[in-house]
Amino acid sequence: MSEFKPLDPLLHSQLRLAVMSLLISVEEAEFTFLKEKTESTAGNLSVQLDKLEKAGYISIEKSFRGKRPLTTCRITDNGLQAFEEYVENLKKYIQ
Amino acid sequence: MEKELSSKESLAIITQMISKAKKEAAGDGSFQLLLWGWVVAICNFGHYTLEKMGYEMPYIVWLLIIPAVGLSIWDNIRKRKRARVKTHLDEMLAGIWISVFVGMLITLSFMPTLSFQQNPIILILAGIGVISTGVLVRVKVVLVGGILLMVGSVIAFLLPVIDQYLVAGIAMIFGYLVPGYYLKTTYRERV
Repeated sequence: MSEFKPLDPLLHSQLRLAVMSLLISVEEAEFTFLKEKTESTAGNLSVQLDKLEKAGYISIEKSFRGKRPLTTCRITDNGLQAFEEYVENLKKYIQ
Repeated sequence: MEKELSSKESLAIITQMISKAKKEAAGDGSFQLLLWGWVVAICNFGHYTLEKMGYEMPYIVWLLIIPAVGLSIWDNIRKRKRARVKTHLDEMLAGIWISVFVGMLITLSFMPTLSFQQNPIILILAGIGVISTGVLVRVKVVLVGGILLMVGSVIAFLLPVIDQYLVAGIAMIFGYLVPGYYLKTTYRERV
């Protein structure tokens, strides 16, 4: 039973976990893509993305497409490692 | 705003999001196969027919490639702008096709060195692109199309240069147009 490790609180949240799951599947994704797929509000998503970025799990690039601001997110090596650990721990809880 | 997740809910979120990302990645793409399939097939058949008719400059039909390159680049830029997500698969396919394209340019630059036996080599390069695409997008029709391009190359090598144009034209139909229309109708468009 000692194998049970606490799940990473940063990933163990509905929206942040959803964002990370989307980002492991792609090279990079735009804010609007993440918002649509996670069915979240722009405000909440921004807050959660900020938390993930501060933890070093994702990198956020802000640019412009024409006159519109464009936010592009991608997972970092740290983020990928954290996600893999989270899934490994999750497996133990489910078994 | 956030509720406590159970392990099962976590797992459900992960699998659901991964499948959503996959669906989005399967975007539009048969356009390139159809564009190049039609243009190169027409050029090959045109060259073959004109030369058989005794026309002095049968290679004039290849000028059609110039607008095709423009159209191809325009389509790529338009799609890149529209895409809200960039996948590993897109990157791999882009890498493969850019290499194939460069390989073709090098081959075409040395046509006299090759005694104008460039067609079978072009078919090999196209075959590499189409086979790799077929494997990556897991569509058998595309994979078979690529193999047929390779078979076309072998047949072409065994024939005189003039007949190579005819073989290349036929190979383009089976290697590009058939997979292209198949992808278009099944909405599994990539490339």
